[in-house]
Amino acid sequence: MDRRYFLKQSALASSLFFVPNFVKAFESLPTKALGYKRLVIIQLSGGNDGLNTIIPFNNDTYYRSRPTIAISKNNVLKATDELGFHNSLLPLKRLYDQGHLSIINNVGYPNPNRSHFRATDIWQTASHSNQFLQTGWIGRYLDSYGKKPYSAIEIDDSLSLALKGQNKNGIAARNPYVLFKTSQDPYFKNVLKYYQDEHLSEHNLGYLYKTMIAAESSAKYIYEKHKTATTHQEYPNNEFSNQLKTTAKLINSGIDTKVFYSSLGGFDTHAKQINSQARLLKIYAEGIESFVKDLKDQGTFNDTLILTFSEFGRRVKQNAANGTDHGAASNLFIIGNQLKTPGFYNDLASLNDLDANGDLKYTVDFRSVYATVLDKWLAVEDQKVLNTSFSKLDFI
Amino acid sequence: MYMKQREIQHLYWRAGFGITPTELNSLSQKDKKYIVNSLFKKSKRMTPLLANTSYLDGFTKEILLGDKRKQKEFRNKSREKIKELNLLWIDRLINTDEVLRERMTLFWANLFVCQDNHIYHVQSYNNTLRKHALGNFGDFVKAISKEAAMLKYLNNNQNVKRKPNENFARELMELFTLGEGHYTENDIKESARAFTGYANFRGEFVLRKRQHDYGFKTFFGHTGRYDGDDIIDIILEQKQCARFICRKIYSYFVNETIDENKVEELTSVFYKNYNIEKLMRYIFMSDWFSAEENIGAKIKSPIEFLVGLTRTVPVKFQEEKDLIKIQKLLGQILLYPPNVAGWKGGKSWIDGNTIMLRLKLPSIILTNANISTREKGEFEDSFKKYYGKNRKNKFIKTKVDWNTFERQYKSASLTGFTAQLIMPKLSVGTETYLKTLSKTSKQDYCVQLMSLPEYQMC
Repeated sequence: MDRRYFLKQSALASSLFFVPNFVKAFESLPTKALGYKRLVIIQLSGGNDGLNTIIPFNNDTYYRSRPTIAISKNNVLKATDELGFHNSLLPLKRLYDQGHLSIINNVGYPNPNRSHFRATDIWQTASHSNQFLQTGWIGRYLDSYGKKPYSAIEIDDSLSLALKGQNKNGIAARNPYVLFKTSQDPYFKNVLKYYQDEHLSEHNLGYLYKTMIAAESSAKYIYEKHKTATTHQEYPNNEFSNQLKTTAKLINSGIDTKVFYSSLGGFDTHAKQINSQARLLKIYAEGIESFVKDLKDQGTFNDTLILTFSEFGRRVKQNAANGTDHGAASNLFIIGNQLKTPGFYNDLASLNDLDANGDLKYTVDFRSVYATVLDKWLAVEDQKVLNTSFSKLDFI
Repeated sequence: MYMKQREIQHLYWRAGFGITPTELNSLSQKDKKYIVNSLFKKSKRMTPLLANTSYLDGFTKEILLGDKRKQKEFRNKSREKIKELNLLWIDRLINTDEVLRERMTLFWANLFVCQDNHIYHVQSYNNTLRKHALGNFGDFVKAISKEAAMLKYLNNNQNVKRKPNENFARELMELFTLGEGHYTENDIKESARAFTGYANFRGEFVLRKRQHDYGFKTFFGHTGRYDGDDIIDIILEQKQCARFICRKIYSYFVNETIDENKVEELTSVFYKNYNIEKLMRYIFMSDWFSAEENIGAKIKSPIEFLVGLTRTVPVKFQEEKDLIKIQKLLGQILLYPPNVAGWKGGKSWIDGNTIMLRLKLPSIILTNANISTREKGEFEDSFKKYYGKNRKNKFIKTKVDWNTFERQYKSASLTGFTAQLIMPKLSVGTETYLKTLSKTSKQDYCVQLMSLPEYQMC
């Protein structure tokens, strides 16, 4: 054996003794073990036009409804005899061909709401359309099953309602380094150093101190984990891919986090939809492909499930501005390595049997998708999180 | 008997947004009745909040009709104007003398929650809240039910005789007046019929007679050819309505931890004639209002935090959009409530990210993120070393008016100053730490105090 190599190795080994205890404590083994399942949620904000994403290229009604913005048959990446991908989605089509993608059509809920605010709210809280909840579905998952203050991480600057629970919250970390630096302010550290237990017993003030202490240790933990991970995967240079890259680094570091949340905005294509949607779908598909490769490289893809949704689809009939208005049910993507029904989970609903607004009728309740993921992937009681029992699907 | 300084501060934090030393001085050696009276007197007036819409005023219906480009421009401009109104509102909260009216307006905005993108409708709604903020609750609810923004927000504009839409009727009872479990599904159905045909024409309320259901409705045991106002009158007859509102008021103005006896006490006062001013006066005059467990027990909302801070140290944001960004990061953008249930408030304001940002913001806003940790006798500030490098990409740019601050707090001793900024009692540990710090500058000390978790309480 090369002597220098040996020395280097032993130096590395001995330096382990100097790793502070808290870091060691966080090296929880189960996360490295196989079977530590993680969920990545991606929200396409603004209402992605599902019909121009997965295109019914043999459907006359589709072409009649969209004289200027329909995707012509020869521009479609055909998947079945009826449906095919937008040609910006070639990377996604590759995942489909490999059996890593399941597309669930017509996902929605009764009495759909067409306001961005409200529809996003409904998807994030998993409420009925006439019910107003102040906690998110991931937040409620944390309330019952979140073991750590970083059990759910949103790759953003602030926390969405989806990750806010009654008693527990996720943490937002767009950039783990910045988060860490913020938490390491010498003044805060001193205040915390001097804190005494009496604070913790006080009602609201105690809560502030507790949250701050948890935030400080989470920020440190997330940063330490993020730092240790390396990636050889190239990602496109855009904000969305950066989010995915951060997510991959964290997952590959063996972080003890169950849920990741990120989003890509701009899908509100009321006018001149063709170009803007093509650009966004490209960003989405290329980012996802790099992300999946990165996870595969490091052996974490098998235990990661990626769910992509949008708060609503768009009207079947195009509008006068070469765009589409807010619609209702739409498709949803599940990406993973343990899919039971890769490909199309169900058929597209009829374009000749629309609701009163001219929108697709839902056939799958989005909360059935959540319930399935909670039950079969995260292995928790879905009803405890969703407060209602929803029938489960068969995609995993 | 004179009112104690701490009690005046408490009153001003709940009825307003804190108090400056000058105001505090002017109230020293005054009794409670005088002080409470003066709060109401200053809020007798109602000053509407108006964005400058002169440009949009030119977009008449005739011009907009059929001109898609103009319509789009109107929508975009309207959205911009709502942001402007947001900033004007915050500015109002910081600078107004009508503090009680503004405080009440803010409270009602989170009870009668509504959101819209049409500047005229948003503005009208906001000023209706302001107008009735201390008035009669019944008139208030009736006015709300006819506002264009509300008609849209809860789909009452789609509520027609042939096909009633129950959304408004449901929320009217669930969120605005009675609370869940105090009405039946049938009450909702019947009352929804009474609100059919409600519409707005150029922002003004109109009853579309052909869409209104003039038939008999049976509601809470009464039967008649009711319209919406009649329904509201019947709701007011339910003591539960007074109780529901008093509970909300108690939770917001007194303590989130509800004392049922106090709520009953308030309910019997309010139920008599639903006079909001009388109710508030009763609360502020009660001995229990200033009980120690109520002082400094509330977590400031992001707006209370920002407004309170700028009332102590006047600040101008160079880029106004920064102020919107801060609201977003802290989780409360005025005029953009999350849903009709409003902001949950209390602990839900605080998560790992918002607490760090809140503790950091005073230094970001006032001293470019620098909080002095220089200890007594220490020559160099370790923080300065830490943040010594020229920091690029400054988060926000502000103009801080330290002169006014110095003038205001010139005569305050350090203990007095602490007492003016921090409402809850400081813990022993925190007090010990503060003692180790050098206090050569009141400005530094101000930022230190504002960066404590205790400053988040009021």
